Amino acid sequence: MMHSSQTFTAFMTKVAIVHVAVLLLLVGASRSYGAADQQALSAEETYKLGERMYREGILPSGEPMQAFVSGDVPVSGTSFTCVSCHLRSGLGSIEGEVSTPPANGRILYLPREPYIKGYEHVPSYHNYAVYFPTRPAYTDDTLAELITSGVDPAGRSVIKAMPIYDLNDQDMAILIAYLKTLSAQPSPGVSDSEIKFATVIVEGTDPVAVASMLAPLEFGIARKNSLTTASSANDRVARMGYNMLGPDLLQKKFSLTRWVLKGPSSTWRSQLDAYYQAEPVFALLGGISAGDWEPVHRFCEENQIPDLLPIVDYPVISDHDWYTLYFSRGVRQEGESAARYLHGMYDLIKDRAIVQVSRDSREGRALADGFRATWADTGHPAAIDIVLKEGEQFSQQRLQQIITELKPAALIVWDDGAALEAFAGLPDMADRPGVILASGTFVGKALWTIPEQLRGLLSFTYPYRLPQDDIRFDALALKVLPGKKTSDYDQKIIRQSYITNELLGKALMDMRGEYYRDFFFDTIGMMPDAYYPLYERVGFGPGQRYASKGCFIVQLGKGENPQLERRSEWVTR
Amino acid sequence: MMVQRLTRMPRIFTILLAILLMAGSDAGASKYKRSIENVVIPDVVLVNQQGEKVRLKSLLESDQPVLVDFIYATCTTICPILSAGFANFQRELGPETKNARLVSITIDPENDTPAAMKEYLERYQAQPGWDFLTGSRQDVDRVMKAFNAYFRSKMDHQPLSFIRSQEDGKWIRLYGLMSSSDLMKEFQQRGGK
Repeated sequence: MMHSSQTFTAFMTKVAIVHVAVLLLLVGASRSYGAADQQALSAEETYKLGERMYREGILPSGEPMQAFVSGDVPVSGTSFTCVSCHLRSGLGSIEGEVSTPPANGRILYLPREPYIKGYEHVPSYHNYAVYFPTRPAYTDDTLAELITSGVDPAGRSVIKAMPIYDLNDQDMAILIAYLKTLSAQPSPGVSDSEIKFATVIVEGTDPVAVASMLAPLEFGIARKNSLTTASSANDRVARMGYNMLGPDLLQKKFSLTRWVLKGPSSTWRSQLDAYYQAEPVFALLGGISAGDWEPVHRFCEENQIPDLLPIVDYPVISDHDWYTLYFSRGVRQEGESAARYLHGMYDLIKDRAIVQVSRDSREGRALADGFRATWADTGHPAAIDIVLKEGEQFSQQRLQQIITELKPAALIVWDDGAALEAFAGLPDMADRPGVILASGTFVGKALWTIPEQLRGLLSFTYPYRLPQDDIRFDALALKVLPGKKTSDYDQKIIRQSYITNELLGKALMDMRGEYYRDFFFDTIGMMPDAYYPLYERVGFGPGQRYASKGCFIVQLGKGENPQLERRSEWVTR
Repeated sequence: MMVQRLTRMPRIFTILLAILLMAGSDAGASKYKRSIENVVIPDVVLVNQQGEKVRLKSLLESDQPVLVDFIYATCTTICPILSAGFANFQRELGPETKNARLVSITIDPENDTPAAMKEYLERYQAQPGWDFLTGSRQDVDRVMKAFNAYFRSKMDHQPLSFIRSQEDGKWIRLYGLMSSSDLMKEFQQRGGK
């Protein structure tokens, strides 16, 4: 990295020299940043090196790219990468008040007009196109000049918003070659007349849950296809559809195929490969499993197929995987939030013990793991772990024993509703913990049966908007079930799948006809946080993969028809 | 439901402002808006990148000059520029880094955990004296509103930096993506050196 203004001046001098060289080349024979400069590298090697420059800011030499932003701020290319603003697809970004134009070769090497050809009269496309100034088509030389000096082919400086990079000719050639591959080939599953989707269903999943996942998706797709059909027969509908969607999206019908996975999860991958080979789809929508999901996640990752919001309790937790967007971090998230909640009141706990009792089941382990990991991040001494083996009931005697022997300041119990019986004598127990936490989702319906005298003593993690607050979204969510009996469906899953359908529609409309898989998720990453049914706040943000991130801590209120009452704000991990 | 969303479709495009990009500005010449603000710091307790609780009022109303910005860790556009500016500001101060306190406050508290914030500061080679704070959504909203920098969604944020003078406690509000030299100039004018 360059750290001083002298270094910056030296760099600018070098840039100027490069410009002179480029100009001389333009006067004579144009320099080639294409294949001729990369004879020693295979196309695959060039691609990989270019990808690393674009995404990580690392030169082929392994050194960080050198860059300057905002005129004179020296930065390492690793913290200011091309992908930061132009995103993985290269099709640019819109965030706050800054918009970044596409950086892929296909668009750069065409002149920019104040319209998008074929979409001149579509309001959204028009609004997008007119915001960027016109420019001639880039060439390899003018693109190199932009990257090193911040001057575009129309002579405008972009130096305030885009870093300038210090690259030699060989590295420049590699980067430009990579830009030419970005969003260059149409993604599979998209034709002039159709976008194909699939949804993965794990055989054996509760049929009500499956139907609840499918209903909103199939409703949305049927509505879209009806509009396409109607527009071919009715001019007024066609005009409305054209204005809203543009001619391209209007004429495309959507299809949704069910990919049912049978047998043990170790066999799913070959089933997925066979489904995909038979019918390459643009993306997976939703999907559902009561247990494993990792094989589907890996399949999407390795084939670069987006999966939008599968309904799973155990999502793959990763900071870098790209191709699955999840509603949340799953069951684990409640454990993480519990840890953060206790951390917030640690002054009351101080040196006293924290005891975590967890059922030795997938759900219990996920909750306990989430708590343990986040608690470790806080730096406090580890909680005392007690594991309930299969068939072992959490009893009043066990509770009394824990309190007597360990005198915990906080007790966490990750078990199902049957465990609540252990607390029957709690009001009369001496030295009872100041905080007793359990999982609202693990306890399930038993949460609503807690006796009045215990309600102020037991707290629960609850990863959704409180039911009484969510009522205002009911009419919206249940529109996806026209003419159907809503009680036949899983109320939570209906709402989750409603969100999937909403995001799908918004994303496709925002994509300006650029149906590239990476741009699909780039586009969702650029959406503002939104208020949908079920979750308190849904938002991704660039690169984020878990939409809802936290829980409320709640208690059951008083009375015969009690409501859940918040005992915390939204607690994130 | 796609059909029902259609009327809202142009929304994202109407917020497009290419003024910062390809606006034909002179290379290196920052254009930013400057105003003086009285900010009443809310008495909230936030959490820093170490997971430590921090009483914001005590942190900001100290004897040191303070710089504040609002960012989030996965931001792709504005925040990297603001943070590169903070990082370079610290480098320019060199051994005098302790003479200024830099405070970045997240506008994405759901995602920006202490671990995420720590990793973010390391990415920008932050030196001691630059803290990144998170908190409950409610508390972060209160802070943003106090600074007249409230964003309903992180995707609607703006490039804002604030400098507090330890002399009169007032804040310079700086709107725009600033060059490093302009940030330093503003800092020095308000009682830095």
